[in-house]
Amino acid sequence: MRIVGLVAEPIEVLERRIGQLRAAVREAVLAGDKARARAVRAELRQAERSWEDALAEAEAGAGGTAGAGGTAGTGPPPGAAGEGAAGEGAAETASLLPLREQVYEALSLLQVPAAPRLIATVHEAFFAATFPTTRVTSLRRDEERSFRTAPFARPYYICAALAADYLSPSRGLLAVSTWPMEKRVIGSLSPRVDFLEAAIRVAEAIERIPAPVPAARRLLWRFAASIPGAAADANHIQPDAVKQAAEAELRVHKDADNRTRREAAARARRQLTDVEQLFGSRTLRPAGSVAGAGSAAGADGEEARRR
Amino acid sequence: MTLLTSLARVLAAETGRAQPIRAVRHVHLSQRPLVFIPLQLAGEACAPLAAMVGDDPGKPQMLTVYEPRDRTQRFDFAAGLADIVLGYIDGYTTADPAPDEPYPDAPQLLVPNGGGITFTRLLGRSTRFRRTEGEYAVKRTVPLLGRWLSFYAERTEAPASALLLPMTAVLADHWATGQSEAEDANLAALLGWIDPPDGMSGPQAARAAENPVCCPPAGPATDPSFDNEVLSARIGAIRAARAAGDGAALHRAQVAMKAALATQLEPTWKLMWRAVGLLRALPEGDHVSGRWKVDRWAFTSHVRWLRDGGAPQPRRDGAVAAARKLAVLEREAQRLEVQRAYDDPLVMAEYRLTGEAFAGTVTEADPARLDTSGRRAKLRPRIGVETGDEVLAQPGAKLTSPARPNQDALVIEVTRAGGRTRVLLELEKGMGRSLTPAPGSVPAVGERVTYTTLRDDFQQPPVFPAVEDTPWTHGGPPPAYVPADEDAVEEWS
Amino acid sequence: MNLTETRLARLRGRAMPRNHDARTISALAANPGCARRALMDAAGADKQKLAAHAGYPAPFGQSQFAIGRGNAFETQVKANGAAQLLTLLRGHLGLDIAEAHYTDLGAVGSNESSELRHIRTRQRLTAADGHAGTMFDHPMLRLRVGGRYAYLEPDLIACKLHGKFYVVEIKSFAVIDGQADPAKVAAAAIQSAVYVLALRDLLGDDEKVHHEAILVCPENFANAPVATGIDVRKQLTVLVRQLSRIARIEDLLATCPGDLTFDLDPDENQVPRRPPEELLASIRKVAANYVPECLNTCELCYLCRDESQGTTGALGRQVREDLGGIEYTAQALALAAGQEPPPDRAEVAAVLVRAAKLRSELRPAPRAGLS
Repeated sequence: MRIVGLVAEPIEVLERRIGQLRAAVREAVLAGDKARARAVRAELRQAERSWEDALAEAEAGAGGTAGAGGTAGTGPPPGAAGEGAAGEGAAETASLLPLREQVYEALSLLQVPAAPRLIATVHEAFFAATFPTTRVTSLRRDEERSFRTAPFARPYYICAALAADYLSPSRGLLAVSTWPMEKRVIGSLSPRVDFLEAAIRVAEAIERIPAPVPAARRLLWRFAASIPGAAADANHIQPDAVKQAAEAELRVHKDADNRTRREAAARARRQLTDVEQLFGSRTLRPAGSVAGAGSAAGADGEEARRR
Repeated sequence: MTLLTSLARVLAAETGRAQPIRAVRHVHLSQRPLVFIPLQLAGEACAPLAAMVGDDPGKPQMLTVYEPRDRTQRFDFAAGLADIVLGYIDGYTTADPAPDEPYPDAPQLLVPNGGGITFTRLLGRSTRFRRTEGEYAVKRTVPLLGRWLSFYAERTEAPASALLLPMTAVLADHWATGQSEAEDANLAALLGWIDPPDGMSGPQAARAAENPVCCPPAGPATDPSFDNEVLSARIGAIRAARAAGDGAALHRAQVAMKAALATQLEPTWKLMWRAVGLLRALPEGDHVSGRWKVDRWAFTSHVRWLRDGGAPQPRRDGAVAAARKLAVLEREAQRLEVQRAYDDPLVMAEYRLTGEAFAGTVTEADPARLDTSGRRAKLRPRIGVETGDEVLAQPGAKLTSPARPNQDALVIEVTRAGGRTRVLLELEKGMGRSLTPAPGSVPAVGERVTYTTLRDDFQQPPVFPAVEDTPWTHGGPPPAYVPADEDAVEEWS
Repeated sequence: MNLTETRLARLRGRAMPRNHDARTISALAANPGCARRALMDAAGADKQKLAAHAGYPAPFGQSQFAIGRGNAFETQVKANGAAQLLTLLRGHLGLDIAEAHYTDLGAVGSNESSELRHIRTRQRLTAADGHAGTMFDHPMLRLRVGGRYAYLEPDLIACKLHGKFYVVEIKSFAVIDGQADPAKVAAAAIQSAVYVLALRDLLGDDEKVHHEAILVCPENFANAPVATGIDVRKQLTVLVRQLSRIARIEDLLATCPGDLTFDLDPDENQVPRRPPEELLASIRKVAANYVPECLNTCELCYLCRDESQGTTGALGRQVREDLGGIEYTAQALALAAGQEPPPDRAEVAAVLVRAAKLRSELRPAPRAGLS
């Protein structure tokens, strides 16, 4: 199918081999033979790399024109419409700041515990850089390790939000260690309250900047779409109106949520060790159970978090 | 399914070979149909991944979407498909017919299965409202393709239409396999039963066809093991090359992805043309060309609608339009059933088995018999037919023979003796205007004849209110359909 | 561990137990007469692995693209305290603004037992405080199947309104112009019915769970979700009837040899060492009830299909019915050829003889390639 003058044979041979290996991997997967699938998969990746190399070599050998001439009708010509080499990927800018500081920037803007995806979106919208959310997930583990090795050595930690009932780490939410405990515990109304608070912070941030980027406006629309009366549609959206609508709904939930959070925060300060206060309890201690002995370092810990 | 078909399935299972259940082909088959095999990305509503399309078995054209989640590339795919499909359609409209005539032929699309029809409908739906200027503009041909695909998909609701056919359904209608209907939905397995490779039995070929590694599914869904083990790595390589800004690597990655997808399409391409060959070998049923003429008219009307600047098909039918459509479809389904029975002794046999038809030999005939009871003498020949079939018809029933569809046969007397039944029939119409029947218009002694209660007469369509008089219980008159901004800029992500 | 549990554990062998879910329960309910599936599911056996090792790999797997799409959509709808879902529910059910609670009932500790979580779910759902919750994510439910409780950990949200609960199912198939793939909607409806039933069991009061489930899907070709109510009363009726037809697991166990096991004898790398033919022999000791519908729902389908070759049922329910319930294809053909029928088959035999005669009268001489 493909005729590349210089190294025709190896490429042809490799292609046949790749075909066979692909079939073999799939056969192994279908047969439930994981060990074999793994082994063949590795061989396949190796063969695919060799094919790439051989083709690159052939193209170079043919003075860079083999790309068009060597694909005998099967491949699209390089630079065909919509398939240009320069993808949008290149437009993604990476920040020079370490990841934890970028997360800190975003969380400081939001002022409420947030999931990695929201953190990444906020950072992209207001700090012009994105990062993969998967890395954010592992960040919390790194922070916990660092805290355990040298407690309170850093001015802040990216830590967990705690579920109000069991004071266990709340699924997927990140917070900043210097925030008061009341902000970091999550009762049943807290997700909604925090969502509305975040909407207000985002609206305010957009009001502050003269020409918000599209990503920022998209973010505001995402909030507005889930707040009654915030905006009619994506094209007619005013930060101030979003803010007012969010504040209106917030007034309905605020008192009930504050009560839950104050109670849970007091319990957390009373029952949890320093590490647990930041990264959550792994043992079940449901609300209403007898308070455990307060941690000895509790007072210090409190201080550290306020630094 | 009916007893005869079920028996054929049992026979197929026992002999290891599919059994023909039709003596003729009941669908129109174009001289050069356009075969269209789409693939889509798993989990998405309608994210084209690749397609193989063309009207020449030796020259398939392939379209590939290298980033299936990218909106621009999806519309590039639609534009590429439009070039092929619209070019094909244009080939049928080069010379305009007289205003009261349809085009002499119409373009026919063949897809592998029902999923192919759904894909066609959804791709049509997602492209026909697009705008060719302003924000989110697409190529001029994209909304036009959308309207054609929507038209073709909509025609599949008409039971007698052959404009867009799913190959598995057509094959399964003509052959009974020794497997279940569910298994017949696999084109390769179905063909394995009908036309197994040398040295293989039907079930062997069908089993081999179920291995997705050797025999890729006929789409639009790809095999999960292909997605996980091959496709994801290919898409990953393209993304990596793009992110690195390496044009040469990107090109290599695209070549590799296209080649990988081609392995999933080529086998189905060959199967489709093999199926076309098998169907072509069957003689065409007598009523097929009449039904195709209806299709040609539908095609012609759509061409004229488009030329006159008609609006794209609405998102949903109004209440009256839907009810009218349903009534039309029901009537059409009944007519189709009758026509098929008239065209095909194997279909008629189903009715013979239930007593709604019988076949036998004319044992006596009085072709010159006159009924003189009235004021004027009327030609009313009588014939006696002897049959081994079970006859349910009672005296007074009006029967028809497929050989003389314009002639009524009134049952006068039914007498049973032994395993045989004698039916005395009185004939009316279809014998010319004089008092002596036209030659051959009355069955002669010794002739094999079939009579049935099935009739292909035209029934008055039920009366529906005009669209503007839609009752309030059905939503009131629908607003005239005007494509909205919302339709044109609808997200496709 | 009681005797039944001991025997089920032996059946499963050293494999990790697989839990029931709405999909497996609806599949089992679709074919309640299949002892093989009922026992394997009760034992938590890994049917996929068993089928593969016995030489009959299952015809389905999941594409990572489909999984990714499903997860992404669910995450999106549930993100930020299920903000999108709340907006939909406010529109669909008319939730009051104050009703915006989101409670995650997911596992707290890693070693929490299903039973414990089930109890906690019940506590939270029945909490006396009427305002204690609106949306409850990851409830742990259970349902009696074959006389034993099967635990279900659905990715669903139970929504409470005026003291009544609604099952909310998030599915990533698209609703386009108000219509969706009928097969997918039907599957979602029966799965929702499983959850409605389990939720009713949990609350001990049928009235407390609404028979309308709420299906949340992407609308048209974009990612924005849309809510659709589906009445699952019919599915509930079918489900209850079918579940009642599944034999008691104890009774099924009583018909099996005491030493029966589906253990794969894995080595330290989890590679099975048990000879496939021996495994096959063990599997065959429990009767299956193959119907072509199994091809869409059961990992063992190819194995059972092979066993049922020569039966009319393997060709489909309709064929079997057309043939008056005759079980074997060979018998049907013998009767069609004129063999003396047993008295209870006389009627169908007569029709078969006529059908066979008609066929031989009309079938043109076989042509090459088309016979």
